[in-house]
Amino acid sequence: MSRVLLVAHRDYVQNVRTKGFWFGIFFFPVLLSAFIVVPRLLEGTKSARRYAVVDESGWLLDAINRRISVEDLRLALDAAAERAGAPERVDAMPGPLRGAAADLSALPSADRLALAAVLADASHADVLPASARAVYDAHGSALGTWWSTASQASLRVLDVPFSFTRYLQLPAPPGPDAAEVLGQRVASDDLFAYFVLHEDPVAGTGMSRYVSKNLTDEDLREWFGSLATSEVRERRLERERIDPDIARWIQTPIRFDVRKLSAGGAEESIGERDMLRQWAPVVFVYLLWISVWSVSQMLMMNTVEEKSSRVIEVLLSSISPVQLLAGKIIGIAATGLTMVLSWLLAFFLATKYLPGLLGASPDLPLSTLASDPLLIGSFLAYFLLGYLFYAAILVGLGSVCNTVSDAQNMMPAVMLVLIVPLLTMVPIGRDPNGALARLLSYVPPFTPFVMMNRAAGPPTLFEYVLTTGLLVASIVIALWAGAKVFRIGVLLTGKPPKLKEILRWIRAPVGMVPVRKEAAQ
Amino acid sequence: MDMSAALVLDGVTKRFGDVLAVDDVSVEVPRGTIYGFLGPNGAGKTTTIRMVMSIFYPDAGRIRVLGNGNPEAVKDRLGYLPEERGLYKKMRASEILAYFGRLKGMPAGEARSRARRMLGEFGLGDWVDKKNETLSKGMSQKVQILGTMIHDPELVILDEPFSGLDPVNVELVRNLILDVKRQGRTVIFSTHVMEQAEMICDGIVLINEGRKVLDGTLREVRQSGEQAIVIDYDGDGGELWRLPGVTRVNDAGKTAELFLAEGADPQQLLRLMVDRLEIRRFDMREPSLHEVFVRAVGGRGT
Repeated sequence: MSRVLLVAHRDYVQNVRTKGFWFGIFFFPVLLSAFIVVPRLLEGTKSARRYAVVDESGWLLDAINRRISVEDLRLALDAAAERAGAPERVDAMPGPLRGAAADLSALPSADRLALAAVLADASHADVLPASARAVYDAHGSALGTWWSTASQASLRVLDVPFSFTRYLQLPAPPGPDAAEVLGQRVASDDLFAYFVLHEDPVAGTGMSRYVSKNLTDEDLREWFGSLATSEVRERRLERERIDPDIARWIQTPIRFDVRKLSAGGAEESIGERDMLRQWAPVVFVYLLWISVWSVSQMLMMNTVEEKSSRVIEVLLSSISPVQLLAGKIIGIAATGLTMVLSWLLAFFLATKYLPGLLGASPDLPLSTLASDPLLIGSFLAYFLLGYLFYAAILVGLGSVCNTVSDAQNMMPAVMLVLIVPLLTMVPIGRDPNGALARLLSYVPPFTPFVMMNRAAGPPTLFEYVLTTGLLVASIVIALWAGAKVFRIGVLLTGKPPKLKEILRWIRAPVGMVPVRKEAAQ
Repeated sequence: MDMSAALVLDGVTKRFGDVLAVDDVSVEVPRGTIYGFLGPNGAGKTTTIRMVMSIFYPDAGRIRVLGNGNPEAVKDRLGYLPEERGLYKKMRASEILAYFGRLKGMPAGEARSRARRMLGEFGLGDWVDKKNETLSKGMSQKVQILGTMIHDPELVILDEPFSGLDPVNVELVRNLILDVKRQGRTVIFSTHVMEQAEMICDGIVLINEGRKVLDGTLREVRQSGEQAIVIDYDGDGGELWRLPGVTRVNDAGKTAELFLAEGADPQQLLRLMVDRLEIRRFDMREPSLHEVFVRAVGGRGT
């Protein structure tokens, strides 16, 4: 084994043996799992808001409940359409949905809403457009029967955000003193709130009532209120014989068709997946930042430890400072890579299998991101490049320190530089090809983070080539300067030198040793 | 110049900025000897040794190590104990010894078995698998010195090997040095304590303020000076200065080294001394290295 690899091997083995290393290996996966598991557990324990309604009008509540049913059925149809592409997720659905999934996914979202209205008995099949009509003819009776008979419990396992998972309607007691009874139940926390609907809501002269102990949580009131408003508005249009289509047309807001222009110039419509793709690099920037920082800091601390234990001159009697430096950089890189790869593996496994283990289907395609070759590839490449750059600087700084506290005194200066890519993470994520992003890409200390940040852009090939070229050149210079400082610094005792002194070493020819009383002995 | 000498320095000079750390030093260390680099702190001993180990490079002059004009080429055949020394605290004693051996080019298996055997031979058998941070100072010193010898170097260079050691460990290190010599190999060590060198060195070089003061075999060096009278005594040492014919006194309190003016009679001196002090020993011999050194540098330093 060459001497360089011997040094690298020792550093790797020694680091892997430390508790800190295993803490690092396990901390991230545990944190990640907690992020996935805890919200789901909380969701499971969070009870739905229980409410009751006293309907003095005699018809409004029924109409609202029909709307709720349509809305929930539409959610089921949408879920079926969305999951149509993934066989194992389709198989988990009830038969009628499973059968219709492929046809549903071919329908536009508006048609699915119309279809849901027909199936929930709120509208007539005649109004359906032809494509939706075909789906209705093929699957309508099966879906309708399923929907009218499905129990809430059977619907819950579908992992669809049905309204009753959030707001659970309980029957109101009959009789004139219903409101009074409900009031007691609210007081005893059996109910979150109750509504009293006005006897003639269409006239709009009187007010309905909403009673709760908690008036800061307005979700229930807003949700129920908007359903009631829509229903009442429709009745008013009917009474004035205004064509609903005209009314809808009058109320139609200006809408924007949001599209993403891809590198090839083709327009693509954007979905949830694209939003995720846009922001996923930010996750990787964060991971990159943590790993580059912690691993190059590990190298620095290793160097300081080697100096403070004074073993370094013994090593220098067998190998040259450059061999020692190279061995250390490689050894710590291997340590860091082990850690980072284990993190990536954990990320991939956790996003792919953990939701399944919890009995829930993974609703965000995180696992596809964790195996996206562009993201993973650039992450690993930028980890190595970023590490080499900061390693060269930190190992030089570490070599002039004699104690850990000397090294800690130097940290704020390095932090000041490294904080920049963290501060610009969100602005760059929002505008990956903006002026700020482009500019910072060409600043070598920031290149790895900023280019990772821009992966959703993505930057042009030209930018990749130029920034990487600049970065590699800076790494070569940093390693050269780091090696010069290292070969002088490692033998230095006493007070760490000032920056000015270090710069003088870098400019001096190789083999020159600075004027220092300690070194002259 | 003897091409087969263990070490030849020829006009070696090293400058740190304005400071001339080593100034035109020429030395020849024969093979199979113990050779001392002597001089006060800051004389340039460590810098000279670092140049031999290719840690520094001379600004002028030539260095031949084991007959090779390029010291870097023979690094693997040298053992080196720096003045600033230590061990990796978290490594085990046998591990670090084997690591030092492998850095000198030993095969892994051989380095490992050699490390365990050496630790056993030198009374550290129970510490083979203990971490270095658990070793006492003397034990870790032993491990460090074993580390310089694990690969059977032809030349061992020890920089201040005795500093900070108690008498038991001084003895131990001395025996290790003598062992190496017995095996026909060469030892160079530096020290600022002349008495240590006197006991075991075959040859010495005296360095002061970066310059060679004198060098040669111990015998040559000592014979170059005048005879000294060494006494062990009790009483007021101040009396020694008042004796007629005495030109210099190196008084250590219970033992003293005296030098007489030319023509003065040692027997006469003894008679005078016996009247004033209690004399337990009276001896005539070559001057101590300390005296040689003080004379050579004209009273400066120590």
